[in-house]
Amino acid sequence: MSEAAVRFEGVTKSFGGRRVLDEVSFEIPRATAFCLLGRSGTGKSVTLRHIIGLMQPDSGKVFVEDEDVSTLDSRALSRVRQGMGFLFQHAALFDSLTVGENVAFPLRRHRPNLSDTDVRRTARDKLAQVGLAADYDKMPGDLSGGMRKRAGLARAMALSPSLLLVDEPSAGLDPITAAEIDQLLVDLKKEEGTTLVVVTHNIPSARAIGDELALLAEGKIVARGTPAALDRSPDPLVRAFMRAEGSG
Amino acid sequence: MLDTVGSSVASSAAWCGDVSLFAARSVREAFRPPYEVRETLRQLHELGVRSVPLIAVAGLAIGVVLSMHTRASLERFGAEAMIPAGLALALVKETGPLTAGLLLSGRIGAGIGAELGAMKVTEQIDALEATAVDSFKYLVVTRMVACVIALPILTTVMNAAGIVGGYLAEATLVQTSPQLYFARAFSLMDFTDLIPATLKTAVFGFIIAIVSSYLGLHTTQGTEGVGRASTRSVVMASVVLIVVNVVLVRLIFFVFPQAG
Repeated sequence: MSEAAVRFEGVTKSFGGRRVLDEVSFEIPRATAFCLLGRSGTGKSVTLRHIIGLMQPDSGKVFVEDEDVSTLDSRALSRVRQGMGFLFQHAALFDSLTVGENVAFPLRRHRPNLSDTDVRRTARDKLAQVGLAADYDKMPGDLSGGMRKRAGLARAMALSPSLLLVDEPSAGLDPITAAEIDQLLVDLKKEEGTTLVVVTHNIPSARAIGDELALLAEGKIVARGTPAALDRSPDPLVRAFMRAEGSG
Repeated sequence: MLDTVGSSVASSAAWCGDVSLFAARSVREAFRPPYEVRETLRQLHELGVRSVPLIAVAGLAIGVVLSMHTRASLERFGAEAMIPAGLALALVKETGPLTAGLLLSGRIGAGIGAELGAMKVTEQIDALEATAVDSFKYLVVTRMVACVIALPILTTVMNAAGIVGGYLAEATLVQTSPQLYFARAFSLMDFTDLIPATLKTAVFGFIIAIVSSYLGLHTTQGTEGVGRASTRSVVMASVVLIVVNVVLVRLIFFVFPQAG
């Protein structure tokens, strides 16, 4: 088994003639936090969607734990997905379920041996981790944007995944809530060895979370390294990004 | 002009082809495990049980109106005694199934189109997939099975409510016992009148679920698209249902000549 939790090999993806990913190749080691930076529309979220198999590359391969998710059948893909969590940019909570049942949903689906009491207790624990212990019975529509995001994170963590994909964790959040979520992600990596792949515009957030940052531009990863290494980059685009402290 | 007509025909044919493939996939997936029993039962409650009041009230009103029209016609021939049987046959063979189908294509079709459309534009369907759930099976197959089961039952409710409505209308005009009325209502009816006409609504249920699910899952352009998906679900499901009804009636006459 390789050391990489995620590996892209020459992945190309186009939409309507526009090449969003252009033979992109990279590896993400296990139990590390990898932050993908880039301007809007550069293919950051598309990259995340390839990892979880919501999109297939036009060419190239996407490996998760050494399995090529772009070629798996639905059953095998379902098995691989059970080891992943995905926090969507707008949380994507299920409107018809309470906040608690949103978090309990993956447990009810994939942990059939858990009793109802255990499912509820685990869901409450996950909600407590994101500061929403008291909101189990609320409907998603009753939550603020930040609370929805945190509930989405609790759902993404429900199965204690080894790989967590996070799309814009701090978008639309106040700085204090954003910092709390950043710290939660850092704790997850340290305490549970979770591999994090985080898409963000927010440089302070990327610095706080990322062991490695990568900048995606015009379909390619144009820079990659630790935050300190990217700070020293001579590339004007990288320097502009790394100095944009207030962005996000 | 010819180009416009040609491209409209081509796009309509492509749409029909897509929906047919979508329908075939839903049937295939319905027989493949795992079976989403819990979600199917939830849909049966949402789409079926919650439709009972609408169907019962509509059936009752239709029964009253049909009774008044039937009386007006049969009185001219002195054949008032035939009113219950005439009304029951009209209801069971065509009025009940078609009206139930159209009413439910409004209630259920709009609901499915809007719900799935909203789920699509808010990434909830991607979220289902990301939590390792087969969204097609979970959303489409469960609704399809629920509609196929619910429609014949709801049609039976409508027929029953209609016959009761007919009795109430008659009882306000002439002295008639319920026993005599209901005995006369079923006097000319046999199973070939009742069963095929009721079971054909399972096909209506299939059409409503498939057309509205297809349109819901293909929603684009945000909330405006959701509204459009909802409206189109009702319109398209109703049109397809009416057209397919013609074929089904012809088929029933072919298989059960005595039903004619």
